[in-house]
Amino acid sequence: MVPVPPPDNVMPTKLKATVPISVNDFVVLPLTLPTTPSYPVDAKHYLYLRLNAPKLPTDSTPREVFCVNVPFDATAATLKVLFSQQLGGGRLEEVRFEGGIRTSKGIAAPLTQSRGKKRKRGLEFEGGGEAEVVEVGQLPQVWDRELHPGGSTAVVRFVDKESAELALRAAKQAVKSGRTIMWDTPASAGDEDARPLGSARYLAHHTLRYPDPATLQESVDTFISAFNAQDDARNKELARLRAVPDEDGFVTVTRGAKQKPAELVAEEAAERERQKKKRERKQVGEDFYRFQNREKRKEEQRGLVRGFEEDGRRLEELRARRGRMRVE
Amino acid sequence: MADRAMKRRKVEHTPSDDEADDASFASFGDGEDETAQEDSMAAEQRALPEDDERSLHQERIEDDLDSETEVIADETSDSGEDVDMVDDEDDEHSAHNAVVSKQDIKAKQNRNTSMAKKQVPSSAFTAGTFKSNMFKLQVDELLAQIRPRRGKREEAVDQALHALKTTFDSMEPVAPLSVSEARRKLLTTSKVSVPFPSPGPPKDAKYTLQHAKPAGINVVGSYPLKTNSRTDTVLKVDMMVAMPSALFQEKDYLNYRYFYKRAYYLACLAAAIQSAHRDTYEVQFSDFRGDQLKPVLVIVPKAPQSSVNDEIKPAAKWRINVMPCVNLDVFSASKLLPTKNCIRNTEQSSDLKPTPLYNSSLRSDMLLATYLEVIHGVAGRCEAFRDSCLLGATWLQQRGFGSGIADGGFGNFEWAALIASMLQGGGPNGKPLLSDGYSSYQLFKATLQALAVRDLSKQALVIAPGNIKPVGDGSPMVWDGARHHNILYKVTPWAYAQLRQEAKLTITTLGDQLYDGFDSTFITKKKDAMTRFDVSVNISLPKRSSPDQPEDIRVQLARMHDVLKRGLGDRTTLIALKPTLPPPWQLGMTKSESRPRVITLGFVVDPDNVHRTVDHGPSAEAKAEAAAFRTFWGDKAELRRFKDGSITESLIWAAGEDGQTILEQIVRHLLAKHFSLVTEGVSFSAKDFASLLRHGARTANFQPLLEAYKQMEMDVRGLEALPLSIRHIMPADGQLRYASIRPPGVAAAGEKGLPAQVTIQFEGSTRWPDDVVAIQRTKIAFLLKLSELLQEANGGITARIGLENQHEDILNQGFLDIVYESGAAFRMRIYHDREQTLLERQLKDNNLAPSVKEAAAQALAKHKRDYIRRPAQTQAISRMCTRYPALSGTIRLFKKWFSSHLLSNHIAEEVIELIAIRTFVQPWPWGVPSSVQTGFLRALHWLARWDWRAEPLIVDLSGNDELKLADGQGMRTRFEAWRKLDPSLNRIVLFAATNLDPDGTTWTDGHPQRVVAGRMTALARSACAHIEEQQSALQPASLFASSLSDYDFVLQLDTGRKRSKAVAYKNLELAAVDDDTSIGYNAAELFLYELESLYGSAILFFHGGQERSIIAGLWSPGTSQRNWKMNLPYSTIPSKSSKEVGIMAKVNREGILSDIARLGGDLIESIEVNAR
Repeated sequence: MVPVPPPDNVMPTKLKATVPISVNDFVVLPLTLPTTPSYPVDAKHYLYLRLNAPKLPTDSTPREVFCVNVPFDATAATLKVLFSQQLGGGRLEEVRFEGGIRTSKGIAAPLTQSRGKKRKRGLEFEGGGEAEVVEVGQLPQVWDRELHPGGSTAVVRFVDKESAELALRAAKQAVKSGRTIMWDTPASAGDEDARPLGSARYLAHHTLRYPDPATLQESVDTFISAFNAQDDARNKELARLRAVPDEDGFVTVTRGAKQKPAELVAEEAAERERQKKKRERKQVGEDFYRFQNREKRKEEQRGLVRGFEEDGRRLEELRARRGRMRVE
Repeated sequence: MADRAMKRRKVEHTPSDDEADDASFASFGDGEDETAQEDSMAAEQRALPEDDERSLHQERIEDDLDSETEVIADETSDSGEDVDMVDDEDDEHSAHNAVVSKQDIKAKQNRNTSMAKKQVPSSAFTAGTFKSNMFKLQVDELLAQIRPRRGKREEAVDQALHALKTTFDSMEPVAPLSVSEARRKLLTTSKVSVPFPSPGPPKDAKYTLQHAKPAGINVVGSYPLKTNSRTDTVLKVDMMVAMPSALFQEKDYLNYRYFYKRAYYLACLAAAIQSAHRDTYEVQFSDFRGDQLKPVLVIVPKAPQSSVNDEIKPAAKWRINVMPCVNLDVFSASKLLPTKNCIRNTEQSSDLKPTPLYNSSLRSDMLLATYLEVIHGVAGRCEAFRDSCLLGATWLQQRGFGSGIADGGFGNFEWAALIASMLQGGGPNGKPLLSDGYSSYQLFKATLQALAVRDLSKQALVIAPGNIKPVGDGSPMVWDGARHHNILYKVTPWAYAQLRQEAKLTITTLGDQLYDGFDSTFITKKKDAMTRFDVSVNISLPKRSSPDQPEDIRVQLARMHDVLKRGLGDRTTLIALKPTLPPPWQLGMTKSESRPRVITLGFVVDPDNVHRTVDHGPSAEAKAEAAAFRTFWGDKAELRRFKDGSITESLIWAAGEDGQTILEQIVRHLLAKHFSLVTEGVSFSAKDFASLLRHGARTANFQPLLEAYKQMEMDVRGLEALPLSIRHIMPADGQLRYASIRPPGVAAAGEKGLPAQVTIQFEGSTRWPDDVVAIQRTKIAFLLKLSELLQEANGGITARIGLENQHEDILNQGFLDIVYESGAAFRMRIYHDREQTLLERQLKDNNLAPSVKEAAAQALAKHKRDYIRRPAQTQAISRMCTRYPALSGTIRLFKKWFSSHLLSNHIAEEVIELIAIRTFVQPWPWGVPSSVQTGFLRALHWLARWDWRAEPLIVDLSGNDELKLADGQGMRTRFEAWRKLDPSLNRIVLFAATNLDPDGTTWTDGHPQRVVAGRMTALARSACAHIEEQQSALQPASLFASSLSDYDFVLQLDTGRKRSKAVAYKNLELAAVDDDTSIGYNAAELFLYELESLYGSAILFFHGGQERSIIAGLWSPGTSQRNWKMNLPYSTIPSKSSKEVGIMAKVNREGILSDIARLGGDLIESIEVNAR
């Protein structure tokens, strides 16, 4: 076995510290996570709760509780169970998970990205009125269930303001009294819709990745016809703009509706290139005048000097990096 | 006034030298001229400046006054270069200049004016200078490091030399005694046993042995010549003691008599030192350079506690060899020619074979002082001589050559003598081959060129008039006619072959414009047998030698070399033998045994022939040859009739018989048959590395898939109803370029192999939508059509459309998996070149949001990577794999190494391939690897030394030098720009460019991170240290294991194998997925992908793919304790310590691990946390 120096890693600092009851205006609610055979450790998860206070409040804002650091496997059902059975029993109306915080990893999480691209794209048409926004031609889903990356947030809407406040109070009390609050996995929370994790999840994903060709065909067809319709509408609009002078009597200059075929474009480019070459041939060569030669030589000499200085610098660098030259 | 003139002269002189340098670079650069041309080459070079001069003069006359400005310009740029030139010329230089004859000065000035006029030549020339500048600067620095300096060690040696001289001069003469008497007397009085060479002197010898005052004492060798390297660990000084001529008779050169007398003289000297300096020096006998005829005294300082003479400090590391020698006039030179016999056998006087080794060995004793004079004279005349000797010494040392017989017999002395001789003659009409005006580097290169180009074992290099032929056994001959001596008499045939190979390699390296060959010429050590030879063998010889065996090891080794060479034929390109010689022995002891105990053999194989199973011998009709064949091979030879009707003697080897390669079987057979060496004594080091790969390193494993690929291409091209015609179908996968760790079709149980990726491009059409997202959907429509048509056309094909990149709709959305009944599977994606234009347009569009542009940039990079670079690299690598037989195995083993060390999810396989190929296309200082072992170890060797912070990886994949110097410089510039842009290496850590991919960031943008690259280097370094430590005892598998304790936690995955054993009910689901649909399913990869997307911001994951079913993790340093914030991208524990005011957040490790355990579910067998 080859001994290997340990990689860079920051050692965890051991500090004697206690978990506070609240942080900023959040209640810190410890949830006891279920143990698994592969990791039989009693671990806690910390959920942060407060009344929702967005920058632009809506009518339902007072009825909402804002949760930070939602467990990765949370579903609407599990949160419902949590609040209704363990925290005051307020009734939930809706749970809205918000996109996970984009990390600097560069790999966007496919699980949380909301699918559903708006099919309307391109120019906003003047006078054409707001086109109706429809989502069509979506490709089939390939994951059976979404998961939440670390630090995700969710907004829980209760039926009324009292329930929301009750839930928070109950949470505070539970923390103070030190009552153990269990985190129920979807399975234990009785969520029938939640799909299992582990290899079953990946097998399901593998199956979902290969959708039925007919479904796929239909989705693609819908998309393409929508796209074509949009394209047509845009072209029509452009044609109209070309034809109709505006209030000052000017005609807007827009891109032509018809595009040249690709082959033609390529041919034109080649023709231009030929012309250019022809012109160049006619021009006086670079070594025609004496001054040209002289300039060239001087440039080469300067290049030599530069190269020499460059080398000196590189060697300096090398020396700085490796230290004294040493024969192995 | 005179001073000024001097200075002027000097300033002008140097650049003209430099010009001459370049002229010769150009002519040397031409490389392998024919041997015949070589002779005239040097002469031409010297003639060149004069020719130039003449023509330039003419030019000048014709030219007009306008040139004046140019002269000035030239001079200024020249003086710019002078700064360096003048710097490194030491004082000797100006002294030398001062004594240059008037004529010389005139000539030089003449040349200088014309040189100043000389126009700067073509860009090729500039390029050459540019390279050699860097090279020259490095050579200068190296020389400054290794030039000898006078220090304490040298002073101690000088004192010791003086002390020894005084002792020798004051010795009492010993009257003539008979042999046995002399031996007995010395043993009893001084306890010194006379180190007679074997065979020892006959009992009834009529001659007498005696001692007399030395005729002269002198220091010879590299020390007085100042050609010894300062960095040598032991300073070795040779001291010659000339024996008075009166001790010898005319016929003493015969039958070892000279050597007996010499041995006695030496023993007397030993006795004298013993009595005078017992407390200061340790004295031992040793064979001089492994020549058992010539023992010498080795004197080293004793440990300090018993130092009587306070002035000599014995702690310094030095060694003095005391060598008796004899005057030049004692024996006639003509009797000692290599063609003469000097060992007469009383019985059969008719058959007198020449004894060149014996003769030259004696002759070299007579010439010790002479060569000192000769070399000293040359060193005085040619300034660069000493430096070129130092360069040569470094070069030889790195390649394991030395003056000792065990090291090949070509060492510093031979190098110096060779240059000295070539400076004196050897050219046509007896003119010198080299000129005194050469720079040290030119001398070095010219000497290598001389070694590389001409085969001195076939045609001797004759320095002075004379006509002599080489011995004919493959050993070289450089005949110094003036001194009647073969300078290279000691060089063994195999060492000479090796030396020539090395010289050729170095000449090629130095001629390579693209890479700086300095490190591989002087710095890299290439002695290690494991990286140097494809196969190395240790032979321990039995202790007792049978009486009929020849005593001289050189003869014995030569026989072994001949047998192996004949037996292996074209299977090997080099056979090296290295005996381990007996160490020095105590004065009172008799020499144990002159024969070596252990011989190490090294083979460089020819990868095309080494695995051949049938050897054809002579035809049965050729009786004599057939008989010889039979005697040589013994019972292995069989008479066989072949398909073409010929009946020949032949040898049949079975591959892989009890794990032995064919080469091993042959070597064992030959050693047993001809040297009675049994199996136990012969050990092959490091069993074949190729066996670490599943199903071996043969590319034949890939053939079924490649054939299926061809079939697939035909099937697809044969579809007539496709709306567009097909332009290209290109492979884009490791499996289709002989480069996947496992050959296709071999996968772990429970998992099907991954489909091989393929791209398809259709002819251009205006019907494609002009929108990136819509293009992706149109591609799916195409694939749907394609799959329908394919399945209609061929019932044996299953084609399914799969989806990918769901989160980013400007990326490719669908692929087509095509599965044949045979199991061959392909994943096809459509390449549409319009995408690139559209994405580039998006990048330029200033109205778009930065996030959109960022996405477009990533999509563009991915587009280029998947559709342009990968197919191109696939083609290039499959071409190279057919060209270099060992490449495929090397790449696969190297990938396995990365995989085994859990690096493969960070470092793209393409980068690993490039590093492996680098070892083949830029193999210096070695040749192209001819086995998986050497390929792999050298790649590892380079990886350990790769300073990726400051060096880009540039590889030419074209195979015919398509990558030009300018391209290389462009890549370097791009690399430097990246380093300036991103000095902390957050984005680009490794830079890997090829002629197909000048960007250099295709495979390395964003990954690996610096930590991972650092770990890669650390792992490679420790692997190299391990190899160096273990040498031939290396267990290849040990390089593929590393400890898991460096990681914070390790997830042991439940491999499919175990799961499929527990059939129970879990497999209901598995059963639902039938065989074909599970192609491409890899739970571990999917799990890793999800882990990275969920926890990538807090944890760095390491996974080795199929090679090791674990995922390891390191907590990112970014997760250390910090102020609590709402939007930390990982699960936290808030904490409040009494002292601090604010509430801190730290990463919730247990919580996250518990989450991971739930996410992985049955995939995880256990989670091990390493406590820190």
